[in-house]
Amino acid sequence: MQVYKTFFKVIQKNRALFMIYLVIFMLLALLLSSTSAPPQDTDFTKVKINIAFINNDEDSLLVNGLKTYLGENATLVDIPDDTQKLQDALFFRQVEYILRVPQGFTEGMLNGNDVQLEKTIVPDSTSNIYMDLLINKYLNTVKTYTTYLPGLSQNDLAKHLKNDLAKNSKVTMISTETHSLFAQKSGYYFNYLAYSLFAILILGVCSVMLVFNDTDLKRRNLCSPIRSANMNFQMILGNLSFAILTWLVLISASFVMYGSFMLTTTGLLLLLNSFVFTLAALSISYLVANLVKSRGAMNAIANVFALGTSFISGVFVPQELLGKNVLTIASFTPTYWYVKANNEITAAVHFNSENLTSIFTSIALLLAFAVAIIAVTLVLIKQKRMDA
Amino acid sequence: MFLFNYRYRLKCIFRDRELMFWTILFPILLATLFNLALSNILSSENFQKVTVAVVQNEELNQNPAFTKALGGADNLFIVNYTTPEEANSLLMDQEIDGYIYFDSDLNLVVNRSGLNQTIIKGFMDDFVQSSSTIGTIITQNPSALDTGILTGISSRTEYLKAVSASQSNPNPVVNFFYVLIAMTCLYGGFLGVKEVVAIQADLSAVGARVNLAPTNKLTVFLSSILAATTVQLFELLVLLIFIIGVLGISFGDQLGYIALTCLVGSLTGVTFGACIAAIIKKSEGLKTGILIGSTMTMCFLAGMMSSDIKYIVSTKAPILAYLNPANLITDSFYALYYYNTHTRFFTDILLLCGFTLLFSSVTYFVLRRQKYASL
Repeated sequence: MQVYKTFFKVIQKNRALFMIYLVIFMLLALLLSSTSAPPQDTDFTKVKINIAFINNDEDSLLVNGLKTYLGENATLVDIPDDTQKLQDALFFRQVEYILRVPQGFTEGMLNGNDVQLEKTIVPDSTSNIYMDLLINKYLNTVKTYTTYLPGLSQNDLAKHLKNDLAKNSKVTMISTETHSLFAQKSGYYFNYLAYSLFAILILGVCSVMLVFNDTDLKRRNLCSPIRSANMNFQMILGNLSFAILTWLVLISASFVMYGSFMLTTTGLLLLLNSFVFTLAALSISYLVANLVKSRGAMNAIANVFALGTSFISGVFVPQELLGKNVLTIASFTPTYWYVKANNEITAAVHFNSENLTSIFTSIALLLAFAVAIIAVTLVLIKQKRMDA
Repeated sequence: MFLFNYRYRLKCIFRDRELMFWTILFPILLATLFNLALSNILSSENFQKVTVAVVQNEELNQNPAFTKALGGADNLFIVNYTTPEEANSLLMDQEIDGYIYFDSDLNLVVNRSGLNQTIIKGFMDDFVQSSSTIGTIITQNPSALDTGILTGISSRTEYLKAVSASQSNPNPVVNFFYVLIAMTCLYGGFLGVKEVVAIQADLSAVGARVNLAPTNKLTVFLSSILAATTVQLFELLVLLIFIIGVLGISFGDQLGYIALTCLVGSLTGVTFGACIAAIIKKSEGLKTGILIGSTMTMCFLAGMMSSDIKYIVSTKAPILAYLNPANLITDSFYALYYYNTHTRFFTDILLLCGFTLLFSSVTYFVLRRQKYASL
């Protein structure tokens, strides 16, 4: 098994190359596990938008009432009244709505004059619509009171407002069946896995093949007393063991983080899907390895392939957010089908014939990719040997 | 000698295909990928009308005011009047955000807590609360009924006036492209490394030959760095044309200042690489490794992976933001795009000039007057 051993010697020498991608992946995995789990929806909770509330008017009961009311229905974020700081906060979405109470607002409001608050918003956003609804509601109620009960003191007004605004409509939450907490998280984990796995496989297989495909070395190997079938067999075995080893290392953290969840149907399907994807990625790596001529090109191609396919297939950004054309292009890469299957596996609460068919179609396509590309590569190798 | 060396260094750089890939093709590729991945992110926060079903029953018919109010809110809702069973199945299929039914009270049925559901609830609360308001007023001032309180309450006054924060949209997506340009500027460091290696006698054969020539080393080195900066500026120009022209990302319209940022950014990048190459005495692999590692760390802190990071750094640890060249370049573009004043922009540019000066003086003091006992 000299060839097989040499294979892993070369891999050993290049381990720094893979470590980078392994570390990136582990960091991502760690980041995922530290993000707090979304609360399970059993009771209805209002969504609270982050807003900044700035009062340039006096500290009147009216303004304070508005502030309290908004505090109950939105999250007030404390940001100093400085143009650039407010602009920054809006740009980076720390707040989505900035409300400014201009000077003389309370007086104008109580006297029934035309006064307006100033809002700074993210144009066309849903949060803008909702906050408008809330604020206009409050102020219109004030207006109704001041119009029809003139002479109402600020104190009484505040009391009435408080009383009215405490009224509520009832909300019933019919929960769709509960979903395992880990399902969504493990989905992210396995999606990110595509990037690191692809990069590591291309780099690994290429760095070995670059050594073996060196013309002088190849000639020497061809005249050695080992049958070429035997040599090829060892090479294939080397590639496969390297791929499986990489796969094992990358999935190992999922068992640490999600434990027995990985042994449920969802977990097992995720594992199966990632394993078949490994085979497809391996055959692509093998194709690439027979095409590149230098280590510089290898690095470039590994980056372009791993990053490119991950971006367009929805590894980093959910597939729903990608354009139709992008997804059409992406469907020519195995990563697309891998991510699609992952999303379907983790979204399914129950497995029935419908979603299982869809999932297994994707997995079958991955397998088809693996076979088709390896066939192309073998033809290519044959062609090359004839040229030489 | 100056022009001779300049010309040949240009040729050397342009013929280094691997270098050209990392410094120009890779950023263009990343820009394309960013664009593909991020173009729809912003539209996901755009308002789309909330779909809601209303169950038709006897109690609903007794509350025409509610139907009227809902009809008046057609800028918010797409309403569908239907049977209870139908409403339920629509909700299960996620066709609607929730449905409303009357018994003695007003009820909302949803299957998750989201902003759209909150809007429906907000609207319903509004209705209940307005009824309470009318009740309170009528008990205290019965004549209000005659003076039109019911019509008054349905005609709302608009109390909000939009004031825009700046001349440009607060669009966090542009920040990704600004960091990308910062990254490209700092990747100019590859060129800096290449030039230092090519002039140091202990690092390359070319360097040994150059040191033998009866020419001032500083002159040669200056022309090399100038060649590197020329290439870098050319690459930035291509990238900018691509990002603005093909991808349609906005940079504001202050072209002169944008060009200034590119120039200063390139100089910072090239001298940064030269400085690293001069300080670190180990192999070229380690030099580029450190260059990539530090560039990526700086870009991460400037918001390349998530723009929130830039905000967190600049509010929680502003010193770190000012000491990070990648952030300074990003911030210059950001300030040009978003702010109405130029104070922040010029602070950034001055700091970048400071970094360039620092990097070049370090390089100068390390490179000069080196003598070798043997090579």
